[in-house]
Amino acid sequence: MNAPTPRKWKFSRRKLLIGLGVTGGALAVGLPLALPFARLKIAGMLDSASAPAGTMPKDPFVWFEVTPQNRVRLYLPKAEIGQGVHTALAQIAAEELRPAWEQLEVLNASTARGFEMGTMLVAGSSVVSSLYNPLRAAGAALRLMLEEEGARQLGVAPEQVTVTGGVVAVAADPARALTFGQIVGAKQGAWVASKQVPQLREPAQFEFIGKPMPRVDFAAKITGAAQYGLDVRLPNMAYGAVARPPRMGAKLLSAAPGTARNQPGVVAVVATTEFAGVAAETRAQAVAALDALQLQWSEGDAVEQEAMEALVTVQPGAGTVLQSVGSVAAPLAAANTLRAEYRTPFAAHAHLEPLAALAHVLPDKVQVWCSTQSAGSLRADVAKAVGRRAAEVEVTATYLGGSFGRKLNVDVALDAARLSAAALRPVHVSYTRAEDFQHGFFRPPTHHVLQGALDGNGRIAAISHAQASGNVFPALVGRLLGADFGAYRGGLVRYNIPNRHVTSQPVALPVPTGSWRGLGLLANVFAVESFMDELALAAGSDALEFRLQHLPEGSLGERYKAALLAAAGRAGWGRALPAGHAHGLACSLDAGTVVAQVAEVSVQGARVQVHRFTSAVDCGVLVNPDIAAAQTEGSIMMGISSTLLEEITFSGGQAQATNFDRYPLLRLGDAPLVETVFLQGADVPHGMGEPPLGPVAAAVANAVFACSGQRLRSLPLKLA
Amino acid sequence: MQLNINGGTFEVADGDGLRPLLWVLRDELGLTGTKYGCGAGICGACTVHLDGVAARSCQTPVAQAARASIRTIEGLAQVQPDGSLRLHAVQQAFTDEQVPQCSWCMSGQMMTCAAFLEQNPAASEAQLLDAMQNNYCRCGCYARIRKGVVRAAQLAAQPAGTA
Repeated sequence: MNAPTPRKWKFSRRKLLIGLGVTGGALAVGLPLALPFARLKIAGMLDSASAPAGTMPKDPFVWFEVTPQNRVRLYLPKAEIGQGVHTALAQIAAEELRPAWEQLEVLNASTARGFEMGTMLVAGSSVVSSLYNPLRAAGAALRLMLEEEGARQLGVAPEQVTVTGGVVAVAADPARALTFGQIVGAKQGAWVASKQVPQLREPAQFEFIGKPMPRVDFAAKITGAAQYGLDVRLPNMAYGAVARPPRMGAKLLSAAPGTARNQPGVVAVVATTEFAGVAAETRAQAVAALDALQLQWSEGDAVEQEAMEALVTVQPGAGTVLQSVGSVAAPLAAANTLRAEYRTPFAAHAHLEPLAALAHVLPDKVQVWCSTQSAGSLRADVAKAVGRRAAEVEVTATYLGGSFGRKLNVDVALDAARLSAAALRPVHVSYTRAEDFQHGFFRPPTHHVLQGALDGNGRIAAISHAQASGNVFPALVGRLLGADFGAYRGGLVRYNIPNRHVTSQPVALPVPTGSWRGLGLLANVFAVESFMDELALAAGSDALEFRLQHLPEGSLGERYKAALLAAAGRAGWGRALPAGHAHGLACSLDAGTVVAQVAEVSVQGARVQVHRFTSAVDCGVLVNPDIAAAQTEGSIMMGISSTLLEEITFSGGQAQATNFDRYPLLRLGDAPLVETVFLQGADVPHGMGEPPLGPVAAAVANAVFACSGQRLRSLPLKLA
Repeated sequence: MQLNINGGTFEVADGDGLRPLLWVLRDELGLTGTKYGCGAGICGACTVHLDGVAARSCQTPVAQAARASIRTIEGLAQVQPDGSLRLHAVQQAFTDEQVPQCSWCMSGQMMTCAAFLEQNPAASEAQLLDAMQNNYCRCGCYARIRKGVVRAAQLAAQPAGTA
């Protein structure tokens, strides 16, 4: 190498072939990534309330491994929760690397792979948008290297070869060709980064992006072979069980092993005031031995439902101002004003795979396999729990059996590590369903006071949204904007209204609260978009027309208009419906994605039935339309379940639900028919994991009003 | 105690005959394709076949299962002479319709559907959907589960070899 850059990597071919990562020597890929990245981070923080994405590695060998057997392995720092990111990211990577789709294998990177810990996180519907550029750049960098080395092996200049389907071929004589695997197998010496600046494909050239590629994880999932946190096993593994507090806030005052060590099958006991648990040969033995521990708990908080509802109540003048346009004071003091209060309850995540982890604490390292959205932060937490350096800990995220925000904090891995350290064996710990309901955290309850004033022309002159919510990100409250950016997600008023005022009031509750799919999105949009319908009624306007009269300014308004018209058009808004059926409409912006939805609902006695659900979605670049449709469908079902059924209540310091008998979920027979249309959007992808959840509750509530005349302002909706 | 699972014989400790089949499969035999969801017979994630009938393995004492022929998700596909797998009609249909998301519930969904179709090959669509009513899917794949089970019924009705 004689050029000053790019630098030569200091690793051998052998290391490359066995897939060892490179930690030194970064590849200088000449892409201006820094500025869009900074913007993405900021936009991500403000628009999607997601954590910053971190810096993605530019070294393609952190992402890829090409074997002489002609397999292309893609290692991803993002866990597959079911949202399809492994497939979508494989499409993005393949777009520039240009392998044959069939030769790609997608794997979860462990924390030892070479990714920054901050990138090993799935949150805020940001996975695809945050990796769209870095992963294409990494794919292009590797393709150029394979192209140049392939040309050298073929005895032609790099300009004389083409790359497609994992084959480097002489353009003028395509019979002269080498597969990626052949090129890697015959490579001598170190790989050198290309001096070329890769030209990324334009959307019109896309070969993989935009196609409904089948999910890469289904072959394993369909046959039962896929490994989740609850499924991972090691030889000589023991099972752990952990003493849980009898009520919220109770702490161990004293802890002693008692006779636990003498119970059948017990291999280790840990009894400290920080943690008390047992490891045994079987799960049942571990659980049984817990009774033999001598534990004294503090009283904790005898939390009651009514007290918490009182805490989560908007206080006049309290809260942080998040939006202030014009001045609402005068118009809201005038005569023709409307005021309404909305509430949403505590909710559980109810992921069907309970929390689970396997830990193996060894003298020189600690290995953890866990259903986690956040392998990166878990590494540090495990290290702290067992008194090791973070660098000694390797966390591998398994497949997740659902999460919805719950598996951002997986203390179960710390439980497993503590017990493994004591047992000197691998230990697996999993929650029972009751533990999962009772010893996690919840979507916080919210309270909303909406006020609006109409002018003489039936337009909104002023609107205010005062919101109170249990904390979503307690640690960040006060540090960022003086508010909990998770709790107000979806709470801003995007419509073009001359006077707008939004406040958010964080409330610390004696119950753990945190992230739930979309954070505050479902609750806030329920309140704001229900109130829009209340104002439309007061103005004597059709709900669709009324929204079109108040479209946001600029390009967002165009996007809202297109989505509203598409959803309404496809649903047949304004057309006659079967007797007793009615439509409800709502829309929202989240993680850059605009969603408009129409629910078709009927009411029989106290029962609400959602028959059809139509969505129009503008998520920018549609990486995989089938997966985006699946995310929309899933958001609708979860949203309807939350709208009609779900509510966690407390008594005596415990959640009253211990299983699905007291927390029923939506079932097949109550699921609506769904239809989703995707709109032509921007040239970057926006979020899809949460945005379609936004309007669901409001659309259903608006439809319930249309067919029953009852304006229901609390979730779950309960007809009088 | 001997268990007949997917056509093979497995020896497990006699121990407590009331212990749930689910955990014997998962923890003692390593057959983790059968999933735990609620342990109370509500969610359906643990559904297996006992003598061809769908059963909640979390509610089935192992001693009772020992008297039956047990089929789990691992035994739903057929291994061909060349070692490749021939997917069951339900597995093929769920793949064709791209039904799952996280897929934790899907072993139970597919086992429920497979047992029902084998017992009721001429069932109406309404009966088929009714049979799926007690399997939760938290990811909300219901629209595709509907398509998947309808397609499974069609595939299962085709003569062998034409699917």
